[in-house]
Amino acid sequence: MAKQARKNRSPEASAFYTAGIILLGIVIVMFIISLFWTPYSPDATDAASKFMAPCIEHPFGTDNFGRDVLSRVMSASKYTIFISVAGVAIALILGTVAGIPAGYYGGIGDRIIMLLGNSIMCFPGILLALVAVAVFGPSVTNVIWALGLVFAPTFARVCRLGTMEIKELDYITHARVMKVHPDRIMAFHIFPNLVPQLLPATVIGLANMTLFESGMSYLGLGVQPPDASFGKMLSDAQAYIRTAPWLIVFPALMLVIYILGLYFVSEGLRVTLSKGGK
Amino acid sequence: MTRHIHIVKVHHLTLSFPTRKNPDPKPVLNDVDFGIRDGEILGLIGNSGSGKTMTSLAIAGLLPDNAEITSGSIKFAGKDLLEMNPKERRAMLGKDIGMIFQEPSTALDPLMVIGKQLDEVLTAHKDDSQTKEDRRKTIIDMLELVGFSNAEEIYDRYPHQLSGGQRQRVLIAGAALLKPRLLICDEPTSSLDTVTTVSILALLKELCHKLHITILFISHDLSAVRGFCDRVMVMKDGQIVDKDTASDILTNPKNAYTAELLTNARLDTRILGFEPATVDYSTSPVLTAKDITASYGRSLFERVKSKNAGTKTDNNILHDVSLEVYPNEILGLIGGSGSGKTTLIRSLLGLLPHEGNVRIKSESIGAIFQDPVACLNPAHTIKWHLAEALRASKKQARGPKALERIVAVLEECGLGAEFLTRRPHELSGGQRQRIAIAMCLIQEPALIIADEPFSSLDASSSAELLKLMTDINRERNTAFLLITHNIHIVRQICPRLIVMDNGRICEEGTTSEVLNNPKSECTAALLDAERQIHGI
Repeated sequence: MAKQARKNRSPEASAFYTAGIILLGIVIVMFIISLFWTPYSPDATDAASKFMAPCIEHPFGTDNFGRDVLSRVMSASKYTIFISVAGVAIALILGTVAGIPAGYYGGIGDRIIMLLGNSIMCFPGILLALVAVAVFGPSVTNVIWALGLVFAPTFARVCRLGTMEIKELDYITHARVMKVHPDRIMAFHIFPNLVPQLLPATVIGLANMTLFESGMSYLGLGVQPPDASFGKMLSDAQAYIRTAPWLIVFPALMLVIYILGLYFVSEGLRVTLSKGGK
Repeated sequence: MTRHIHIVKVHHLTLSFPTRKNPDPKPVLNDVDFGIRDGEILGLIGNSGSGKTMTSLAIAGLLPDNAEITSGSIKFAGKDLLEMNPKERRAMLGKDIGMIFQEPSTALDPLMVIGKQLDEVLTAHKDDSQTKEDRRKTIIDMLELVGFSNAEEIYDRYPHQLSGGQRQRVLIAGAALLKPRLLICDEPTSSLDTVTTVSILALLKELCHKLHITILFISHDLSAVRGFCDRVMVMKDGQIVDKDTASDILTNPKNAYTAELLTNARLDTRILGFEPATVDYSTSPVLTAKDITASYGRSLFERVKSKNAGTKTDNNILHDVSLEVYPNEILGLIGGSGSGKTTLIRSLLGLLPHEGNVRIKSESIGAIFQDPVACLNPAHTIKWHLAEALRASKKQARGPKALERIVAVLEECGLGAEFLTRRPHELSGGQRQRIAIAMCLIQEPALIIADEPFSSLDASSSAELLKLMTDINRERNTAFLLITHNIHIVRQICPRLIVMDNGRICEEGTTSEVLNNPKSECTAALLDAERQIHGI
């Protein structure tokens, strides 16, 4: 009866991790190589080789300016990964710094913080980010800050709820009786116990942030030309979808691989953590 | 239905938790072989980790996924349970085998009224021929049977409106609704106070007779089975080491381990060597509390509700409580659940806003809480815990000196330096409580407040913990305020005693005086319950 369940980690979680790490690995390897080397310069135009279908010299083909799509995809992965990681880092820091004290102290401060967070969450995130970028001007830094702010309330909520649960436990009471400073309680006693809840939220945050970034770049408010980004490449390519489908297939494929990889990892985390929590 | 002598026959059952790294681990149950006779109450006793719960889960078919039965069989009324498919087994659960668990607070859905939850039990198992009214009547009859005089009212209540004992009654009613042939009770009383325990045990016994239910009663407290079980089995390390009739086991144990359990359960001072320090009552007290009145803040919803009702109810949980703890003293504080003991210590520790004043003649007071699971931070190692306590005490000692102190305190609490790198989940309940004590000791407090530190520990661990506490008291002259519902412990180590009831101190005096001729009703009730359970 229990033959199939011999292993410690469930086979379901292992499968998710393996799939997720392989998919993410493809994108990350491309990203690391692109930092040092790309087959051609991603911005180099070549009027002689416009709309070349995938071949030996250009494995992913070339676009309407004769730029190498493989090189552009590699350099686009750089922006995608950089923006999503930096944006999530901002959201995570803001969310934790606001959420843990809100949950720990409660009262009026909690109400104000949650009111602010909820009002941000009232609007569609992409709309807020678009407005912010439209007002402050499109640039990579502005996109990161806008996305970070839009995502912060989600993390604040996770932290607040977790803190409210943990602060009632005996070990926190014990720390209070020992007269440990509240800041220290929040940073060293509560925060480490929030990690299991924050980890899946962070991975999902990365995936969502990538989608948002692509959407904004697609609308022309994200990464600015001539820099490559998946969203921008897709919007440029749609005019040639019938004549040169490789222009749309390869950036889209990379986006799918990256996001699918993140979802698989977060799913693996979810399975492991919910099993371990019992 | 044919009747068998043994309703359950467990035949040479061996069970283990194999992992990928260790495919052949030490078995959790090792060649367990016993039968439960039809209509009897069988007690299953053992310390934590002895395999009691695994045995019951194996019978109910609720084993965790990673458990593997390597040999043996379990027969229920002649049918082999291990041969059945999961669907058939699930159908048996509830109808043939009922279960009651330890923690009544988490076993009920907080968003569903009691009646609805019990109704679910019926609809899940019975055919649809019963109408809604029939089911309601069955449920109300059952609620009356388990001792609710206001069954109609209980039907429409939510779980949070009931006390722990009442919830346990509801769970028993739920299990008994389907008239199972076997009822497995896994420590049903260990989170209840003595008075409630006595009434729950009486109820189970009555059900056993009235509905002809066979009961498998699991407990870590040998004395709780007195006068309740017909036969008792004692388990140790996954094996049954002793089985006999209840009276024989309690009065005349043949096995050395059973005898040890009994000794621990009795907490005999002479054998265990408890010697609390002598107290000088002429010195000034370490803790003086005067006229403490406290209440919990009400939610907006409750405030609106009571405003509409037009009555101004008294929400205070504590009413003018005054107490003094002298140096070297172990002061006992007893009372039933809901008497305000925990609220009092929360006020004393300054965790709860209160009226009245508390004076403490020491820089720090230590505290040990009830739940050995939540008392340590799961994210950190033991070393971190002790270093953090040392840091908070502001008695700065850094580097190797701090480590020396940590190890010294750990050894004083009977744990070696090898525990430093372990994390809380690698320790047993008793060991965690020791770490909690070590964390207090490292701060060198003049007073340690202990809130029911024994209630979730088995007899051997509590005996060891109790010994540690008396040793600390004698050697370090630390005073203790010991809150407990175990009068037996109080009798052994506390020179002075306070009895609380309904947020007031109803009796106070030397232990022998209060316990030998109680002046108040609530003390008498507590003592009476204690006598019934432990037969002292």
